[in-house]
Amino acid sequence: MSAAGGGRTGRTGGGPDTVSELDLLDPVTVSRLETLPVRARVIVEGALSGLHRARLHGSSVEFAEHKEYSPGDELRHIDWKVYGRADRFYVKQFEQESELSCYLALDASGSMDYGEGGRSGGPGLSKLIYAAHLLAALAYLMIRQRDKVGLLVFGDESLDRYVPARARPAHLHDLLAVLEEVTRVGGRGSEPTSRALDRLGELTRQRRSLLIVASDLFEQPEGGALAVLRRLRARGHDVALFQILHPHELELPFEGLTLFESLEDRRELLVDPAAIRRQYKRRMASFLDKVRSECVRGGVEHHLVATARPIEQALLEFLTARAGRSPARAG
Amino acid sequence: MSFLAPLMLIGVAGIAVPLVLHLIGRRRARRVRFAAIDFLFGSDKKVRKRLRLRERLLLAARILACTALPLALAKPYTACQASGPLVPHGPQAAVLVIDNSFASTFAIDEESMLARSRERARRILQQLGPEAEVAVLVTAEGAEAPSELSRDHLRLRDRIRAIESSSRPADLSAALRRAGQLLAGSSQRIRTVYILGTPAASSLRTGESPWPAGAVPQLNLVDPSDGQALDNMAVTGVTVEPDHETGARGIRVDAEVANFGAHQVRERPIALRIGNRVVARGLVTVEPGQRTRKRFTAALPPGTRAAELEVELAPDQLAIDDRRYALAERTAEIRVLLVNGDPRTVRYEDELFYLSAALRPGDRSDSGAVLTTATGDELMSQRLDEIDVVVLANVSALPAPAVSRLRQWVEAGGGLWVTAGSNVDVEEYDQRMSPLLPQNLSGAVDLVHGARGDERSGRALSLAKLEVDHPIFSVFPPDAPGLREAGYSRIVLLGPTTEVSRRQVLARYDNGTAALVEAEAGKGRLLLYTSTIDRDWNDLPIHPGFVPFVQQAVRHLARVSPRGRPRELLVGHQLLLDIGADTVRIDVDRPGGHRSVFEGEELADRRQVRFSETDAPGFYEVTDVKREGSGSARGDSDFAVNLDARGSDLRRAELAQLTRAPEHAGAVGSDTHERRVELWHAVAAALLLFLLAESFIVWRH
Repeated sequence: MSAAGGGRTGRTGGGPDTVSELDLLDPVTVSRLETLPVRARVIVEGALSGLHRARLHGSSVEFAEHKEYSPGDELRHIDWKVYGRADRFYVKQFEQESELSCYLALDASGSMDYGEGGRSGGPGLSKLIYAAHLLAALAYLMIRQRDKVGLLVFGDESLDRYVPARARPAHLHDLLAVLEEVTRVGGRGSEPTSRALDRLGELTRQRRSLLIVASDLFEQPEGGALAVLRRLRARGHDVALFQILHPHELELPFEGLTLFESLEDRRELLVDPAAIRRQYKRRMASFLDKVRSECVRGGVEHHLVATARPIEQALLEFLTARAGRSPARAG
Repeated sequence: MSFLAPLMLIGVAGIAVPLVLHLIGRRRARRVRFAAIDFLFGSDKKVRKRLRLRERLLLAARILACTALPLALAKPYTACQASGPLVPHGPQAAVLVIDNSFASTFAIDEESMLARSRERARRILQQLGPEAEVAVLVTAEGAEAPSELSRDHLRLRDRIRAIESSSRPADLSAALRRAGQLLAGSSQRIRTVYILGTPAASSLRTGESPWPAGAVPQLNLVDPSDGQALDNMAVTGVTVEPDHETGARGIRVDAEVANFGAHQVRERPIALRIGNRVVARGLVTVEPGQRTRKRFTAALPPGTRAAELEVELAPDQLAIDDRRYALAERTAEIRVLLVNGDPRTVRYEDELFYLSAALRPGDRSDSGAVLTTATGDELMSQRLDEIDVVVLANVSALPAPAVSRLRQWVEAGGGLWVTAGSNVDVEEYDQRMSPLLPQNLSGAVDLVHGARGDERSGRALSLAKLEVDHPIFSVFPPDAPGLREAGYSRIVLLGPTTEVSRRQVLARYDNGTAALVEAEAGKGRLLLYTSTIDRDWNDLPIHPGFVPFVQQAVRHLARVSPRGRPRELLVGHQLLLDIGADTVRIDVDRPGGHRSVFEGEELADRRQVRFSETDAPGFYEVTDVKREGSGSARGDSDFAVNLDARGSDLRRAELAQLTRAPEHAGAVGSDTHERRVELWHAVAAALLLFLLAESFIVWRH
């Protein structure tokens, strides 16, 4: 962890009350840790440090049956009414909880390659690496919860990867290996996100799943992916979207004459960024608003994440949001 | 397009600079591989297009600026054809000859050629510059000319502006001659004559070249008509004769119409006016370069002996020569009493034979004279109040009562003519006939006494000195061959006299003695002829001058306008006006309401006054103001003034006619020239515009 060198301070008991109070590693530092599994663990531990043990729950859990309590079961699931009647401890078992399948979808197209480590060579972590780390952390968390996790990497049709969902601990290594390879190759291709999500929908049509998508949603035509996400949600899947953007893409901080080149095709534009910054930000804000509103309308959980933000923070906010939504919390 | 400094065009290679900078800028621009490039372009195509357009406009502005700079420094220019001659600027001598004859009133597009010439002269003066020595001449006949060249261009410009059209024809030869004299006096190397007008062949007079040998100036023709054809028709002559077939007041008017143009003129309306009222109309058709006559018959208004006539052609572009003026008058019949001092039975030997025949040629009723003959004895029984002129032809001295009666009659306005002869006794005439003579007689002389054959003719006298301005002799040419060839073998001599104020010798023989003497007597006139009126003492009656001589003498005595006395003049010509005995002022009313007045010293001790203000065509009325203050119009002195028809011929002169100098061939400037138009000002302005545009585009974004 010393390699991380981040500004992390140890806390003993009485963890921070808010996410911002966490002393988290910056994403670049995390990305320089030895291996992805290590990084995933660090991220998760960083996110969960000081907080109660959290679980990733499916959002649409349904009570399936009672099961006699055994050590390790969630104390909050103990059905006290049954105990009052039977004088024995039984825990509620939910369908999702017992059959949670999660599919992680990583957009590995060329547009995700912007940032350090990416082909753009820009500052900060590339969106692809950031997204990969985030999904790696999620995979780590869910495998530890003995949930099934699968992975779909899309972007370049010739390099797309699919890992079916499994719950075995060894499966985590498979997932992380794919993620590591993708980060090493870098983002390429311009496969529309909507098409990849359609495929995911096909793969998950047998059972409802938790679908977590990490993408910048830069696709043409605009809005295709959102429609697919809404469709997936309508089919009963629990859908969450991490929209990963680089701070440069939000602020366009460049000065002086700049030749912008597309990451996905041969388009380029020689322009003084100052001349178009206002219009760009207006357009970007309009796009983000549209994504947000479409997700809200479609019941898709939306998280806008800038790559300058600590990954743990993003993960923690995601977990916190899901914990607040889960009906099992009432216990 | 050409360039004054073509080497500067090398700088055009500088257009590579913005291109290179653009490419370098592009290359040196920070390259960023950017994922959200769609948001840079925007979904709005207009933004994309605008960005691309701005880039291209900026590049274009810079390229154009880099092109315009060396182009402007290379000083481009082009040549174009400009109207008017090429006028050099700087030290030189120049004469502007402007046509202001009546032909210059020719209208083109409602503007006279003179107005156009003035404008072009003003432009030429401006182009010549302040160092040029210039004179401005006009071509109208008899016009005053400046005496030297001048650098006072303000005054020259005023002079040009003040030039008005004249009613006289052009005399271009005189103008060019004067121009040659002015230029010969200049020390400038460059000498130019600008002729502003359309030189007509009719304006050139025969003669020598106007230019001194070896000093031929540059001639530039500036044609205000811009080469347009100057077709012109004019009324070139009017004659008026009595037409007895029409009646006592009938007149026959013949108008001559000329077509100086190049095309036939068909059925051009023509009209005759009498007293400003149209009395007859017609049509004329004239072939190009030809003349035709149109005859009108009309009658003078009742109760008038004279009338003002105008022949008017439908106006063309030169309207001033489309009318002509004339005066018509009924023939004045003069009542003449011929007193025969030597009646003969043989007619041709009769004293009055030749005189009667001369006064009433062919015994025609329209001869203008009503003759009554009588002898000296019958004189007292004649009613003199019905007589205008009495001729005492070789009459013996009359008794005193007759002399007194005749004297009274003369003083009342009659005219008495005394002619000599064998019956004229000098002593008796001195004793009794002095009141009826301008001068006493001293004796008779036989100049050929004893001579024979050719010696007789050698000794005979002839008329040598004639008062050609006098009405009696005004109809004769200066040499008067019809009079001077007559031989006089006998004459009477005049005695001495001191009363010369009212007496005038009108003719002398070649020995200096008087032949014809006139004197005023009251309101009448006395005339003395010192030889016989028949062939006894001279052979004048058989010479052609006899008839007009006696007719003019009788008309003069009767105070009737002498037949043949010019009642029609040309513009610029002069005439003599008779001064009556008690005339204190003579008024001449001119066309346009102007009046000329002669009085005081202009009339004192004179019998005639010269009138020269005939500058306008039209009718001139002469009025006598008598001593008692009353004025009376002298109808017989009124006259008409017309244009000189030579000036109506606008056919252009050939170049050789104009220059009359072989060395001028090729030295005549054309009416157009090639003018250099500097373009670098426009290019420099464009450069400024491009730089401003570039700055604006950069600032805008």
